[in-house]
Amino acid sequence: MNHNRIRKFFLFLLTIFFSFSIAGETVFADTSPIIAVVEKVNGTATVVRQGRTISAKIGLDIYQYDTLRTGRDGSIGVIFNDDTSLSLGPESILVIDEFVFAPRQGKYSIALRMIKGTVAYFSGLISKLAPDSAHLETPTASIGIRGTKFVARVEGE
Amino acid sequence: MRPWRRVLFFWILLFLLSGCGAHRAKRDLIVLLPDAEGKRGVVTVTTQGGSQILDKPGYAIEIEDFNQPPIAPQPVEEKEITDIFGPALSMLPDPASRLILIILYFEPDTTRLTHESKDLVAEILRTIKSRKSDEVYVVGHTDLVGKEAYNTGLSSRRANYVRDLLVSSGIRPNTLFVSFYGKARPLVPTQDEVPEPRNRRVEVIVR
Repeated sequence: MNHNRIRKFFLFLLTIFFSFSIAGETVFADTSPIIAVVEKVNGTATVVRQGRTISAKIGLDIYQYDTLRTGRDGSIGVIFNDDTSLSLGPESILVIDEFVFAPRQGKYSIALRMIKGTVAYFSGLISKLAPDSAHLETPTASIGIRGTKFVARVEGE
Repeated sequence: MRPWRRVLFFWILLFLLSGCGAHRAKRDLIVLLPDAEGKRGVVTVTTQGGSQILDKPGYAIEIEDFNQPPIAPQPVEEKEITDIFGPALSMLPDPASRLILIILYFEPDTTRLTHESKDLVAEILRTIKSRKSDEVYVVGHTDLVGKEAYNTGLSSRRANYVRDLLVSSGIRPNTLFVSFYGKARPLVPTQDEVPEPRNRRVEVIVR
């Protein structure tokens, strides 16, 4: 009898826990805007979002805090909302720490973090509207980007 | 030390050194590329040891270590660029041009467009109409001459002047989004009270 009550109580707790986590996720998806979209994929390329790994396909939406990863044979190209384009070569990891393109609030910011691999980058509108607001961090350096096209290789650890 | 031991020691030393050499050859590398618009871009590379500016396309900065300053820009051969960055570069999407930015400049302390900027108004109208855009941002700014409150007003008058100009040319008012920032968001950072033509502007962004 007592045993049964404990089981019921745990089921109740579990139900509450899951309903909260589902609700939380829905809220997150609604409030965080899409910041970029996958334009090209070759071989193995994934997007890591809130601990989950999604295989990258053309047309996949990208959100702030997403991590882009490519495998040994993989590469990926994305276009951000402000027309900034970015691509990764094989065995690369890039974290999108911040991307804000909000002309109505006058807010512009790009903060990317390259863990390892190769990246190609071509500035969009943010670099024209707020020249000092785009940055790429690597394990060894901070790269300030002022309206340009460049490539970088990061050896990682 | 016996001779054969000395030889062995020498070989081990050589092996270790060559290992180091191979490792050091693969440094972090940043290469500036020419962009399609032929504009001069600039990349600033900063480590804990110092900073280097990269402003010539085809030149590269290498980083040996995070607490060493970056190595000064050196020219890179095109073959090396394709060898290292070929896969990444082949996946770089074309500039999408989903957005068009046109900047209008103003005479000091007025809502009068500069001579060159007057001609751009027709281009803005063409762009909005050909794209059938229903999302146009009109963003007003001033340079750093004068008080903050005054400049906020001036940037508002400039933005609304451009808005009214577009409306009187047949653009629907509910597609135009006006905002203004006075002297708070200069395009070219200057000291206070410095006149700067490139900061006296209204940005028109057409989606």
